[in-house]
Amino acid sequence: MRRVLAGLLLLVPGALVAQEIGRLDAPAAKPKSYVVYAAEQQSVTAGKQVVLELHFRVVDGFHVNSHTPKSELLIPTQITLQPVAGVKLAAVEYPAGTSYSLAADPSEKLDVYTGAFTVKLPVVAEAGEHTVDGTLRYQACDQAACYPPKNLPVRVIFTAK
Amino acid sequence: MKRSGLLGVMIVGVALMLWAGWHNLRERRLAMERAQENHVVLVPDKAGDAGQGTTDIEQPHMRGKVAPAFTLTDLEGKKVSLSDYKGRPVLVNFWATWCGPCKVEMPWFEEFQKQYAAQGFQILGLTDDVEAGKDTITKVAHRIGVSYPILLTDGKVQAAYGGLDVLPMSFYVNRNGVVVEETAGLGSKDEIEAHIKKTIASGTAPTAVGGQ
Repeated sequence: MRRVLAGLLLLVPGALVAQEIGRLDAPAAKPKSYVVYAAEQQSVTAGKQVVLELHFRVVDGFHVNSHTPKSELLIPTQITLQPVAGVKLAAVEYPAGTSYSLAADPSEKLDVYTGAFTVKLPVVAEAGEHTVDGTLRYQACDQAACYPPKNLPVRVIFTAK
Repeated sequence: MKRSGLLGVMIVGVALMLWAGWHNLRERRLAMERAQENHVVLVPDKAGDAGQGTTDIEQPHMRGKVAPAFTLTDLEGKKVSLSDYKGRPVLVNFWATWCGPCKVEMPWFEEFQKQYAAQGFQILGLTDDVEAGKDTITKVAHRIGVSYPILLTDGKVQAAYGGLDVLPMSFYVNRNGVVVEETAGLGSKDEIEAHIKKTIASGTAPTAVGGQ
């Protein structure tokens, strides 16, 4: 009986280690992306100009320049889309930015996106399933630092009927 | 009978603990996979409330190490090396024309450059975005009002300093050529001056080795 008990006691640390590995509150990795793309299946009318919506969200605590920043030095948010057969792409429509200033430099006015923002993509598509691939280029900052420009892959999947 | 009953309860208990650990691990892996699929990004713990001090983006990884040597070109086309400042305290500051916080601290650097010049203190501004072009960089530097050397990076120097995931990045190099302080993001003016004083006070012999 004692041997069995000793054996069981030896198993306990192993069980505790297994619990530790499975912890969900382990330190979070720092973000490598500051904008999130919410891909969603869309359904549109074939043969007519329709507007697809691309939903993005800037991670809390950060901002990105709008498509029309107030200085030529700043890097605008911009989408590049690859041509695809059966889909005629029109010019992308960007939302207006909001005015923003760094706490350390209130005189410098920026034009940025924070939180959720939606980019509109007018298309005329033939009937069928379509996938348009592209890239969202953006440059993010927070109150104290800026981060090199990043390219976020974007895939727009929709059905034209 | 009692013993076998107790043994049975213990076996069941240990089995439950093992199962719970395995189940927890499996759930975490599935959650990670789902997060990857949905491009969910974890929110940083401190970046959002930055501005009160230095952004805690990276753990310092150069502190205590010899500052990597470099030779770069300044805005006049002259070659400038870190070793040109051997035996002197140097602040190596990476910045970019599109970086707002960088341009907030650069006038402070200019002020400190003059204030601590007698102690041999020197600032080198390394531009991370050479693609902006020399003319634009020159225009921005003049607008900010800096007179210390602005150097054009070559891609290698960023890697030598640990890769730059954030700007501004500053490396305070003492007279012995050792990085005594490293900061990411905009700090307060007082913090920057404290780092400069520490750098000037650190290291004694001008017979430095390593990067300088």
